[in-house]
Amino acid sequence: MIASVLNQISLFFIPGIITLVIFFGIYKKAPIYDLFIEGTKDGLKTAIEILPFIIAIFVGIEALVSSGAMEFLERILSPVFQLLRIPKELTSMILLRPVSGSGSLVLVEKIVNEYGPDSFIGRSASVMVGSCETVFYVLAVYFGVTAVKNIRHSLSAGLVGYVVGIFASLIACMYI
Amino acid sequence: MMNYIWAGMLILGIVFAVINGRLNEFSDGLMKSCTNGVYFVIGLAGIMAVWSGIMNIAKETGLIDFVADKTKPLIRFLFPVGLKKETTAMILMSFTANVFGAGNSATVFSIKAMEMLDAENHRKTAASNEMCMFIAVNMSMIQLVPITVIKISSEAGSINAGNIIIPSILAGLVSMAASIFICKLYERKRI
Repeated sequence: MIASVLNQISLFFIPGIITLVIFFGIYKKAPIYDLFIEGTKDGLKTAIEILPFIIAIFVGIEALVSSGAMEFLERILSPVFQLLRIPKELTSMILLRPVSGSGSLVLVEKIVNEYGPDSFIGRSASVMVGSCETVFYVLAVYFGVTAVKNIRHSLSAGLVGYVVGIFASLIACMYI
Repeated sequence: MMNYIWAGMLILGIVFAVINGRLNEFSDGLMKSCTNGVYFVIGLAGIMAVWSGIMNIAKETGLIDFVADKTKPLIRFLFPVGLKKETTAMILMSFTANVFGAGNSATVFSIKAMEMLDAENHRKTAASNEMCMFIAVNMSMIQLVPITVIKISSEAGSINAGNIIIPSILAGLVSMAASIFICKLYERKRI
């Protein structure tokens, strides 16, 4: 019920914004088409600018995943996870999520199919993906377009948010 | 810093590929991933072009100024320094696109917002407080309907896939509060 209502609202987001902008433009008698084209050029330029950073991060992450380095990290960290009472079925997802959005989605699919979508494990995995971001990936891409070399506290803020989000997901799934 | 992180990722990858005898998978994966990167950006380029076009109309017609003025009090808490109206509007667009789950559009707005924040950054090579705050909030921004996950869980036969929505939003809010807190904490220290 809530899901479908929220979903309807979300569906209106893109058409809504476009309608608003276009009608406002007509009302102001602005050369909408020319303005659109002009802006488009700028957008394409940005796309080309981010390409090198995207390639770099994709390659770097793949190096860790395909070589088995991530699996090793999982193994050495599993005692720590156990100590924190995080279900071991979720460790690989928790470790992969900060670096790879698509990779973690594949993992969630696997977890959900294996343990059932309505089990505690399945739900926690879904909630984690729904509420925790791909921290490292976002940092690499977003700072990629800037001249910034020192990213200051953005990494710690992102990581703290991530860890808190993981625990909050587990707790929320326990009680709701 | 990125120099070390990136080099570290690759070298670790090579070392583990040798240890695990996975050199073949490693090379294949590497070649596939750079192609994937290009595909991803090509997909993004179209969306980026369209939104930049739409936002340009909004900017030139004064709609952006209007919206930025109206939402100033909201944005004040996170960004106490006066940002340009265009930047404020782009940040807002990025947040709302995230909330409504417009995935790639959200990425586009965020990248644009970062570009603008960069132009307003006086320190150039060190990230400004606003950049850090923007990224922190952006990363933990809640999504009303995490549609991809819902789809996965309903395809797996969930009886009520929508019941992850409330926990997701709650967990997202807690995580956002934590990120904002860390940013505010660092902002009190000068660099």
